Amino acid sequence: MYLAPDGDEIEIANAAAEFLADAMPIERLHSVNSADLNASLRSTLGEMGWFALAVPEAKGGSGLTPVEHALFFRECGRQCAPVDLLAQCLAANMISDDGLRQSVISGETGVSLIIADGDSFRIFGSSDATHALLVSPDKAHLYALDGLDAEVRPALDPANSIRTTMALPGLVETVAGKPIWQLGQLGTAAMLVGIAEASLDLIVEYAKVRETFGRKIGAWQAVRHPCADMAVRVEAARSELWYAATALKEGRSDAEVHLDAAKHLANLAAHANADSNIQLHGGIGVTDEHNAHLLLKHAMLLSRLFGTKRSLLARLLNARLED
Amino acid sequence: MDLHFSEADQEFRARAREWLTANVPTAKRPAHGPEAAQFDRDWQRKMYDNGWAGVAWPKEYGGLGLSGLQQVIWYEELARAHAPHYINTTYISLMHAGPTVAARGTDEQKAFHLHRILSGESLWCQGFSEPNAGSDLAALKTRGVIDGDHIVVNGAKMWTTDAQHADYQELLIRTDPDSERHKGLTWVICDMKAPGIDIKPIRTMLQDEHVNLVFYDDVRIPISNVVGEVNKGWSTALATLSFERGLGFIGDQLELYERVCRAIELAETVRMEDGRRAIEDDGIAQRLASIKADTIAIRSMTLADIAETDRTGEPGPKGSMMKLMVTSTHKALSEVVGEIIGWEFLEFNGDRSAHPWTYDYLWSWVFSISGGTNEIQREITADRILGLPRGR
Repeated sequence: MYLAPDGDEIEIANAAAEFLADAMPIERLHSVNSADLNASLRSTLGEMGWFALAVPEAKGGSGLTPVEHALFFRECGRQCAPVDLLAQCLAANMISDDGLRQSVISGETGVSLIIADGDSFRIFGSSDATHALLVSPDKAHLYALDGLDAEVRPALDPANSIRTTMALPGLVETVAGKPIWQLGQLGTAAMLVGIAEASLDLIVEYAKVRETFGRKIGAWQAVRHPCADMAVRVEAARSELWYAATALKEGRSDAEVHLDAAKHLANLAAHANADSNIQLHGGIGVTDEHNAHLLLKHAMLLSRLFGTKRSLLARLLNARLED
Repeated sequence: MDLHFSEADQEFRARAREWLTANVPTAKRPAHGPEAAQFDRDWQRKMYDNGWAGVAWPKEYGGLGLSGLQQVIWYEELARAHAPHYINTTYISLMHAGPTVAARGTDEQKAFHLHRILSGESLWCQGFSEPNAGSDLAALKTRGVIDGDHIVVNGAKMWTTDAQHADYQELLIRTDPDSERHKGLTWVICDMKAPGIDIKPIRTMLQDEHVNLVFYDDVRIPISNVVGEVNKGWSTALATLSFERGLGFIGDQLELYERVCRAIELAETVRMEDGRRAIEDDGIAQRLASIKADTIAIRSMTLADIAETDRTGEPGPKGSMMKLMVTSTHKALSEVVGEIIGWEFLEFNGDRSAHPWTYDYLWSWVFSISGGTNEIQREITADRILGLPRGR
């Protein structure tokens, strides 16, 4: 029993953090046209094998586990990585055609994420992506986007563009079963934990330098105590994330319950911490040039993916843990 | 990361479950008085005689010498077996005094006290807080004057839980009259039967008299009862508090999940004033499910923390965050149950067994104030986890 990154896991997390801070730092979102992955980013990520951490070696991946998947996406969250990065990774875990899968793993083929919204569909991802993934709790559909008729919508979150369409184009493949949804849920929960952590880090750093009334603001209890509450949210959400990732890796019968709990805790922690981070920064916190709003807006998107509050709580109410 | 319980862990769990199923007392614990303390002593004695006391205590002190993780398993099994609640008159001796004496005591102190604590033969109380020193513990004023081989104590302690049942007290006093704050304090074992001790109960909102004011009028304590060094008691006191903040609420941490499951069962049967079952109300259902997620996360936090402690050998600074999480979840659960059970929630006579949910609701303030208020836990988190500039 050990519930924190250990040994090689720490090295993978550090490598991911270093790579992402260089390849797609959160600051990129202050420039125009920074939404989504693009061909160059896809290829850089693909070369490093980041899309295929949990894909078996026989299928061209690294043969690692949901634990490394979670460690990677937690770092993605800290940089507000776009959700098509997750779609690309899920497609690499799903596609049965060797050639297409290899092309997704290398980043040559781009994959967007599709969300059903009433009678229409929303597509999150690069306009040069040729494929898109629609995932539900018990199956995953891969579509080819040739001939897609989609309308561009204004996006609140600068990390991802939004397009809507009334009709999905050609279905390429459907895979039944829960694994793709579960990796998606774990990945979004991990990104939200990363956002909750990044929000806490930003305010703690600021509270050590910013002064009011002749004192560092971190010396005032009006700032210290909300920061402590943020730390508690991070600790709870992160512990549950590690538990869920490990339960999934070990094939435990209650892995789904832990995934639901992890996503719910991560939804709440990311929202509340992004909120507190803005508030405790004061005026500078609401400026466009600050990163605080980027974390909040990305949390708003991620908390609606792979388990919303209502659906998670409905499942959790009657769930039982393994003995 | 891994979630494997070793074969030894699993075997321990199976044995614990079997023994508890057959041995958990069927009689109700008396709510108050000497009968309650006797009930607690008897149950502790039964566990001790059957080799279940002090799971993670070293063998040389009469414990089982097992890991922190096995201690977690033991508390999980206690909760599952509906064993008597672990916060009872044995709490201070087992959770505070025992670990402190084991860590900082002399060989004589260990030899005399530890097996008496484990067997339930001696009960302890805490003597830290005073009428004018609670959260600001270092402001304490109770005086100890060294007179030959004794310390003569004068002053008053407050919020002393179960002082009327205790045989000994972990007493923190000021032995250097010129000292200020954390300096010049001494942690000493006080015999509660010593002449000059006067105990006055304080009735609380729980309709009980578990906490007390304790007055000391020329109480003579042998210097050999000092744990740690004279005038260096703050260090010993911090050790005591770290035990409380580390593992002191482990039972609640593991039991809350079972309690929320019971609340959900309750909500499935209770009818509200509009005739619907409580669980059919979206607001109640969502709150229960969200609290359940919190209790699942609390268990994961506990396991993460214990596994870390087993590896490093000492409790880390995360206990304060744990206490914040556990106390807020405890209160949220009590509040939603209060809505579910309606008028019955207002029936209360101070008996925990008869009115468990109302008792738990009232207890939520004791929980978030005693052992360091939630405000103090936030201060500790800000200082020790986040490294924020100190305001004090």
